[in-house]
Amino acid sequence: MSRFITLSVNEVSRRVEVEPRETLLEVIRDHLGLTGAKLGCDIQVCGACTLLVSGKPVSSCSFLAVDADGCEVTSIEGLSCNGRLHRLQEAFIETGGLQCGFCTPGFILTAKALLDEQPHPSEEQIKKYMAGNLCRCGCYQEILDAIQKVAGRRAVQNG
Amino acid sequence: MKDQMIGSSVRRVDHEAKVTGRAQYLADMKFPGVCCGKILRSPIAHGRIRGMDASAALRVPGVLAVVTRDDFLNNSRIDPYYGPVFKDQSIVALDKVRFMGDPVAGVAAVTESAAEEALAAIQVDYEELPAVFDVLEARREGAPLVHEIIRVPPHGFEDLAGLRPKESSNICTHFQLTRGDVERGFAESDHVFEDVFTLPDTQHSSLEAHAVVAWVEPGGRIVVWSTTQNPFVIRTQLSNIFRVPVSQVRVLVPYIGGGYGGKLYPKLEPLAVALALKAQRPVRIVLSREEVFLTITKHAAHIRIKTGVKNDGTLWGRECEVLLDTGAYAEIGPRVAKKSGYTAAGPYRIPHVKINSYCMYTHKPPAGAFRGFGVSQSAWACESQMDIIAAALKMDPLELRLKNAYEEGDTFATGETLTNVGLTDCIKRAARAVGWGDRRPRNSSSPLARGKGLACLIKATITPSLSSALVKMNEDGSVNVYTGTIEVGQGSETVLSQIVAEELGLTMEQVRVAPMDTDVVPYDLTTSSSRSTFHMGKAMQLACQDLKGQLRELASQLYKVPKDQVRVEDGKVTIPDASLSYREILCTRFGMSGGNLVGQGVVKTSMLSPTGEKSTSAFWFLGAGAAEVEVDRETGRVRVLKYASAADVGKAIHPLGCRQQLEGAAVTGVGQTFFEQMVFDNGQLINPNFIDYVLPSLLDVPEVIESLMVEVPHPEGPFGAKGIGETGLIPVAPAIANAIYDAVGVRIKDLPITPEKIFMALQAQREGTTLEDR
Amino acid sequence: MKNFEYLEPRSVQEACQLLRQHGEEARIFAGGTSLSIVMKQGFFQPKYLVNIKKIPDLTGIRWDPKRGLTLGALVTHRELETSPLIQETFPILSQIEEDVANIRVRVMGTVGGNLAYAEPLTDLPQILIALEASIRVAGPDGDRTMSLEELFVDYYETSLRPDEILTEVLVPTPPPRTGIEYIRFSSSSVIDKPCLGTAVRFTLEEDLETVRTARVVLGCVAPTPLRARQAEALLEGKRYEVQRVKEAAAFASRECKPVSDLRGSEAYKREMVRVLVTRAAPRAFEKARAFRGQV
Repeated sequence: MSRFITLSVNEVSRRVEVEPRETLLEVIRDHLGLTGAKLGCDIQVCGACTLLVSGKPVSSCSFLAVDADGCEVTSIEGLSCNGRLHRLQEAFIETGGLQCGFCTPGFILTAKALLDEQPHPSEEQIKKYMAGNLCRCGCYQEILDAIQKVAGRRAVQNG
Repeated sequence: MKDQMIGSSVRRVDHEAKVTGRAQYLADMKFPGVCCGKILRSPIAHGRIRGMDASAALRVPGVLAVVTRDDFLNNSRIDPYYGPVFKDQSIVALDKVRFMGDPVAGVAAVTESAAEEALAAIQVDYEELPAVFDVLEARREGAPLVHEIIRVPPHGFEDLAGLRPKESSNICTHFQLTRGDVERGFAESDHVFEDVFTLPDTQHSSLEAHAVVAWVEPGGRIVVWSTTQNPFVIRTQLSNIFRVPVSQVRVLVPYIGGGYGGKLYPKLEPLAVALALKAQRPVRIVLSREEVFLTITKHAAHIRIKTGVKNDGTLWGRECEVLLDTGAYAEIGPRVAKKSGYTAAGPYRIPHVKINSYCMYTHKPPAGAFRGFGVSQSAWACESQMDIIAAALKMDPLELRLKNAYEEGDTFATGETLTNVGLTDCIKRAARAVGWGDRRPRNSSSPLARGKGLACLIKATITPSLSSALVKMNEDGSVNVYTGTIEVGQGSETVLSQIVAEELGLTMEQVRVAPMDTDVVPYDLTTSSSRSTFHMGKAMQLACQDLKGQLRELASQLYKVPKDQVRVEDGKVTIPDASLSYREILCTRFGMSGGNLVGQGVVKTSMLSPTGEKSTSAFWFLGAGAAEVEVDRETGRVRVLKYASAADVGKAIHPLGCRQQLEGAAVTGVGQTFFEQMVFDNGQLINPNFIDYVLPSLLDVPEVIESLMVEVPHPEGPFGAKGIGETGLIPVAPAIANAIYDAVGVRIKDLPITPEKIFMALQAQREGTTLEDR
Repeated sequence: MKNFEYLEPRSVQEACQLLRQHGEEARIFAGGTSLSIVMKQGFFQPKYLVNIKKIPDLTGIRWDPKRGLTLGALVTHRELETSPLIQETFPILSQIEEDVANIRVRVMGTVGGNLAYAEPLTDLPQILIALEASIRVAGPDGDRTMSLEELFVDYYETSLRPDEILTEVLVPTPPPRTGIEYIRFSSSSVIDKPCLGTAVRFTLEEDLETVRTARVVLGCVAPTPLRARQAEALLEGKRYEVQRVKEAAAFASRECKPVSDLRGSEAYKREMVRVLVTRAAPRAFEKARAFRGQV
């Protein structure tokens, strides 16, 4: 019943054998060893398992791996480049947008998807886009600051 | 001049690993040969196990071990009973099951599906018994007993000595505190108020579920990786259960994805070790979200509070009865009840006080530590009632609090003197931050009404307690730091590094906190009770001072100068006519590029202060919260426009970290104020998931949260610092409830404050007015 | 999750045949946002998942001024939210989608799946029914069309036969002078499932005062989305008046059949139906008066 699927994970092509019931999260963590995405609620509420599939955020805990066949997948491990942090990663550190860090990869990937789609989101847009990621340590204000900081910097660069 | 280290929000040492996804949490780690452990749980709330047959489970392909009570009955090598206060828990149920979800058996198998299949194959025959699900029921004469016999360990916690279960009852412990004569206090009062407040069971909801990996080495040594906040307690408990010396138990802890009190004391470790012993393989157990809800909760509470007040607002007598629902097992409930009791009368000077706080057994999942530790329960009652009193006396709630609040040198209910008390500053600053006293004109045609509310608190930290630290200096002058404090997200690695860097004049880069391993790091009681910065921070400072003493001694010997002419400061050793680097000292000492100096620091707090006075708490946390809300009178929905959280932090070593702790606590407080609630139907939890047990999101938090730090330094804290992890949570619910009352005149006494409760109260208020008009 | 076979038909006909062949053991899989939950919980363990996402006919948003709006069953919530076409013609749909579940569910979840799953605590059906939407259904013996209202039978139960697939949602072009308002009400977190959802739609006579058509559709207060027909009847054919709205809201509050649950008691939900109908109606009325071809 298992079959082979091909994924481009952080721009590297990977061929993986999966069973239909396996989730993308299981494949990314257990088969490919990328453990930045976490299992949190297992029910698409908390966002700790967020991955980008074709640039869009999904709950990988509930996303069948077979369904990702042929897709581009971005995980948190794909964000920093040559040891340099992504602007969002840097901003989360600067503003203090994390404490225990368990939700952080999901937050950063979701924020990346938002800014890729809409480089200058309003505060309201950020809140609505990010409201589906939960931070139990409660760093919401700092997370908002971090995203606004990056969005603002882009505005300057682009303007 | 070098940058200020203390008081500077330096880059946190754990954050780069966390933002890149490279920080390892337990479920991320690989263990060769590890197999999957699963738990069979009781489907009934209370029952006797008549019989059990696990033979079919053992025949499931891939199953390596099944652990049931048969493994412990008549097995002198294992004591299956454990628990931090009383030995009322067992590795799996031995005679009875006591809540729906109580572990009955464990399975280890090569795959998860084999383990699940094996669970389904275990036959258990239960004789169902009547059960109790709330504290009032549990207290009734003739109520079904959760425990018939409770084992009390010979060496318990010093602060809980004397607390004993009451025989043939569901009273796990009863704590009393009396000052003056409360009946006289009421008689001398002009007004007496009596109210009942309740809080539901809630759950920590760390995004990371509890996990453990355990194995037993040839020779019997036990190794456990755990998501625990107090590895040394786990080590002691495992040593008792498996009857091996403490040295034969090794507990390791990686980064933890949130604790908030929910990862203290044994959880999965005893069963995982029992399975590993039998399977002869490493066993990993990672809980499902539903199982997390069944593993540990925050105590539901029923609180009756009676207060006598003089006409001018002076509090004259207060009686509190606190009933905390500890569920089926005591866990750390007795201490929660004691802490709740200590400060149930609030942070106020009251001459006549009588407090009875009970830790009660019921047939529900066990309740334990939760940020706020009993005080968020008692403060809900006390601080709500303060505003009931203010309204009745037509006094400003701020004025009423300031009139009675503890100040420097006041006597606490236990008779001890309070020092380093920044309470009134916190109250005033929180009030000012929400524009206390500024009234917005009410638009009578709009259904929206605004109001402001305040609450304040006092809480004790665990006392006595013990923290020890080692600082090991390397040949180049850099140091490795050994601590039992767990980085749960609070920033301990960073703060401890800052303290070491400051004390030794090093950069942050030269300081490295070693991974947590009980084989390596010295003893620390626990990462909880907001204690780590104060206790471990001080131990670190002492360890550095010890190290500096050794450097001074060495320099004196090596360079033949009197000790009093050697100075160790700014990262250098200065002797007359020369300034030497640490590297030079070590090189001279060992004659090579190698070798270490090790400094040790120990902080042991006591129930007696240095002056011999009784000391309930090594330091007190004091703080206040203020909220401005907007209530929709037609639906009962509330929006928190602003929340200000003020805490006496002593000294903010890492101000951003302090802000995160205060804000984070406020966010959790908002969830618990408005919607968090575990709902049971005849003992069955009906919302053990994040769809139905709702957590606060970015859209639910106050539009503005302001964190205010009052700094009244503590002479024994490192650089004056006190702990603040819990301070921010405690006043949130009452401050918001008080603001709602201010906005629309209804008083909600039962958490959570749902729109429905407000709506129904407003409806009753309207009908009440109509009746009076007639 | 128990293992299953993953089938990927390339056409609607093929899909229907697979469904017929495997009967109760098969389930249609599109966004999977709801199905994965019940499969993980073990409530439902299909042996075959029929993934319909590779069927090209089921995608796309089309607009025809005469026929109205056609939504392929695979259109996602996020597409509805962000489609410029929807924002121009049916902004009400984009607006509500901003508040549906969370971004990840909106990215994955489909309109067809949302309707065919018949979960009672949801938003879209109320709006679509108020707009008199219909659905196209394909079966092994051909297509049929029915009003969306007829789809819903009970909690998680529809009138679709086991071998039928919902293929399209058709929303007719709104008549002139139409306005609609939807209020999503949560009794806890903003991101919680709705406690109730209330859609009010008016189409006015040329005088801009008289209500020609009224739709009051209530969600989460019955096993299926519920039209408050007595409330509608009270409003239709009469001048719009605040007092009459209040009466209609009271009717709606009596007509609905809520049950007490985690999100509120029966009594509270009835009260909120009254409040929300009273709030939604004047906004729908104002929008109808200001109608510029979009709702």
